[in-house]
Amino acid sequence: MYSGLLSLPPTTATFYSLLNWYLIFGIGAAIIVIAALVVFMVKFRYRGEKSPMPEHKVEGWKIVLITTLISMTVLTAAEYQTFAAFNNIEIPNNASCMANTGSPCVQIHLTAFQWGWNFTYPNGKSQINNLTVPAGRDVVVNISAKDVFHTFGIDMFAAKEDAIPGKTNHLWFIVPAVQVTAPPEVKVTCNSAGTWCQYLNAVRCFELCGVGHALMWANLTVISQSAWNTWMGGK
Amino acid sequence: MTESWIKRWLFTTNHKDVGLLYFFTSCYFGFIGAILALLMRVQLSVPNNNFLSALYYNQAVTMHGLIMIFWFLSPIALGLANYFVPLQIGAEDLAFPRINAMSYWLYLAGGILAVLSFFVPGGTANAGWTTYQPLAVLSLGTGPTLAYLGMVLLAASVTLGSVNFMVSIIWLRAAGVTLSKLPMFTWFMLFTIIAMLFAFPTLIAAFVLASADRIIGTTFFTSTGVQPSILWDNLFWFFGHPEVYIVLLPGFGIIANVLPQFTGRPLAGKTAILVATGLIVVPLSFGVWMHHMFLTGIPVSLQGAFSVATIAISIPFDIITLSFVESLIRGRVKFATPMLFALGGVVLFIIGGITGVFLSSPVLDRVFRGSYFVVSHFHYVMVGAAIFGIIAGIYYWLPRMTGRMYNERLGKIHFVLSFLGFNVLYFPMNLLFDMPRRIFTYSNIGDWGMLNGLATLGSFIFALAQILLAYNVINTWYRGPIAPANPWGSPDLEWNSHVEGMTPAMDSSVTPPAGGWIGQLATASDVHGPSATAAPGGHYGHLSSRPIEISLGALVFLAGTAFYPGPAGLGLMVVGALVVVYSFWGWGMDDLHDKFVVPPEPEGDRWPFSAVPKLKLGMWVFLSSEVVLFGSFLGAYVFIRAATAQWPIAGSIHEIPLGTFNTLVLVTSGFTMFLALQSIRNGDQRKLMAWLAATFVLGALFMGVKVAEWTNLGNGGFILANPAMSLAASAYFIVVGLHGAHVTAGLLLMLYLMKKTTRGFYTKDSHEAIENFGLYWAFVDIVWCFVFPLFYLL
Repeated sequence: MYSGLLSLPPTTATFYSLLNWYLIFGIGAAIIVIAALVVFMVKFRYRGEKSPMPEHKVEGWKIVLITTLISMTVLTAAEYQTFAAFNNIEIPNNASCMANTGSPCVQIHLTAFQWGWNFTYPNGKSQINNLTVPAGRDVVVNISAKDVFHTFGIDMFAAKEDAIPGKTNHLWFIVPAVQVTAPPEVKVTCNSAGTWCQYLNAVRCFELCGVGHALMWANLTVISQSAWNTWMGGK
Repeated sequence: MTESWIKRWLFTTNHKDVGLLYFFTSCYFGFIGAILALLMRVQLSVPNNNFLSALYYNQAVTMHGLIMIFWFLSPIALGLANYFVPLQIGAEDLAFPRINAMSYWLYLAGGILAVLSFFVPGGTANAGWTTYQPLAVLSLGTGPTLAYLGMVLLAASVTLGSVNFMVSIIWLRAAGVTLSKLPMFTWFMLFTIIAMLFAFPTLIAAFVLASADRIIGTTFFTSTGVQPSILWDNLFWFFGHPEVYIVLLPGFGIIANVLPQFTGRPLAGKTAILVATGLIVVPLSFGVWMHHMFLTGIPVSLQGAFSVATIAISIPFDIITLSFVESLIRGRVKFATPMLFALGGVVLFIIGGITGVFLSSPVLDRVFRGSYFVVSHFHYVMVGAAIFGIIAGIYYWLPRMTGRMYNERLGKIHFVLSFLGFNVLYFPMNLLFDMPRRIFTYSNIGDWGMLNGLATLGSFIFALAQILLAYNVINTWYRGPIAPANPWGSPDLEWNSHVEGMTPAMDSSVTPPAGGWIGQLATASDVHGPSATAAPGGHYGHLSSRPIEISLGALVFLAGTAFYPGPAGLGLMVVGALVVVYSFWGWGMDDLHDKFVVPPEPEGDRWPFSAVPKLKLGMWVFLSSEVVLFGSFLGAYVFIRAATAQWPIAGSIHEIPLGTFNTLVLVTSGFTMFLALQSIRNGDQRKLMAWLAATFVLGALFMGVKVAEWTNLGNGGFILANPAMSLAASAYFIVVGLHGAHVTAGLLLMLYLMKKTTRGFYTKDSHEAIENFGLYWAFVDIVWCFVFPLFYLL
């Protein structure tokens, strides 16, 4: 579903390569075990008295040992891949943002409320239900909630974090270009100059937060760095 | 419909009767839960539908979860366990038959509260079955309160039930039924019970705190200063993850029990399965709860640790699953309906287990959390594996329960439709991993419309297929052909007890009739148990009206609580409390006058607790769950203290000298209680009476000082309504109040013990009750020794 020439945000790319590992392990294991079950079930089905007398050995320690070793190997391999992808969930500090993009992290504050999203930017300005971020900069969203438990999720960046009253959580992503690959459920509109793209309903709430939960969306607007700098007015 | 028929079902304490009550009641709740599910599926069948409003949808999604998990899945397993665990261990009944009946009636009372909540203005709970805070506390109305109080009753019922099963399985095994010979279903029920015993007290604590916020205005989940969402998450998921296994393990036990009957060979790796479940799955299930909280802002290192723990807990399940598969090798596999459901359950568990491994990764969780992928995962486990296992058990044991054979062809059609419908329903949800769960509507984007339509189609196939099961069960019950005594050729005791002379005593006088034992038993005393007939001499026999009275009292009391502070609420509370006290007193009087006949308990196999008397074992088991209960409350308090910057300075609120004096009073009462016990050990009834009286006076003094303290605190502004003090007052009044309730219950018990003492009931050789009360009283003292420093000195 992510084909084409557009670039993929790094967190999304990491997510999908990790997911592929899990899919290979998972589907592989499921097919092998279910196939074994079906094969044994058919092969050893009761065919009247000509069926061989059943086994009477009780313990299968050898199989248990092999099972444990194989599962441990596969699961450790999967877990290793997860740990290797922890960059996705570790929040960068200014030094690593500098190292990565040559600029400090963009700090955006988010307060979730029943039912919408209030984003506050370094220049003091606020937007309701629209998150504006610059392309090519590390973005850290500092998330809290005004009333109840919400979950802030941007599936197209494989980024999600709970918005909890009385607590600030953090989420990180970087959008490599103004226009990036978006999943089919996100409609994209860009201007002809290529200085901004809007991703409709790219932000959704993922925790039941009352009757407005289903419609608690926000748009994502990615703008070019120069447009961002202008908007920030030097801050 | 004679009077005795009504009396029998209302007052029964027989394990088979109670088992059937559990079974049919849980089917009823399962039906309600299924209707709610279908309403949701209709709403979601097409994009932008407006069949249900957002509020109704949220109520449906919430109550579907609560009802299915708490009033259907666990109770239906408990129903089968009630019926078959005693038969499998060769016991006449459970260890405490009246407490067993009380578990059932409390369960039903809780369910009635939950169902009533639909019919009050504003409707029922709507914050999801996970009851996330502060949303759940902030959704106003009486309905949610009723549902949450129903949860408290349900959890109390489960705690009592688990004490009962624990003691029964350990203490009531017939001679020769050693642990190594226990059938797998009983083994797995034992594991389930252990998990229940330590998990449910935390659920009680969580819902008591939430209900207190709603009713009396404590501020555990409403003051944003202390991250109430995190407090709730920890309490709820500490319970919630073991709960998944509580739901799953009975089904696994049935699968393990059923498989060898249809392969003709022993279960492969039986010991490995038991070790994996008992020593890894159950203990470790209490150490993985934070994988439900990866996104709550816990440190990345902690996410990694809980991810590893979650991976680790999947290894024993690999062992179990592959042992099931291996059990087919070199067998003679016969595809009767129970076997089909058992194998189907294994297949669905493989899928659900693997998606669970996906969810253990904190990185993948950044997409899957809160999406339909999660919904698919837990339905594959909790419906697929658990319910397919339960259905296998229903078909497997139906000939034992009814003496008649079910319709095999109908059973097979039921299986095919269930398996097909299930996968059409839940597999598409795996592909909906980008759709948030619990949304009442969606716009037509991507393939959401098509996948949701498919799921709705599957839901109707799956639901309608269950009509076949209902029809098959009812038809078998009334018209099925007489089944052979042991249709599956099982070596287990429940199929062979009457053959080997282990028939319950009440049946041994009956001569086996022509046409098969079981067919006759189905309509005679075997199913009905000794409660069908009153004991001679006008005694109550094995019937008791106390369990239903107490539960009714609790129902009325809690319904009143939900409507508090309205005038009707207060009235109901008073009436309910009176009924509870009256019927507990009646319970004691029944015992005093020998009105309740406990079945005899022949010397059996009691290893490893051969030296511990039954009641004492029960007391130990009960107190161990109490430890978790107080631990949960104190843990919540410590969490709040740690998260709150400003807390009243020690000594500024509570008078330390008075508190110290009261502590000394209670500790001294522990000492006098010990002297009471020593007196009766020496056979001195007069001294026993004197020391019991002294203990009572000291206990009453303790409570008196408490009342004085609370009055002073109220006058001094240490009240819930005072914003500066609210949180400290909430914690103090709830925890100290809970302890006070335990002291008060102890005082009432002491009155009863003193009454029995004056009648000379206790002697040098027979004073078990004094000893057990001593244990309880010591526990109450010890708890205070934690409460006092935590609240007064720190």
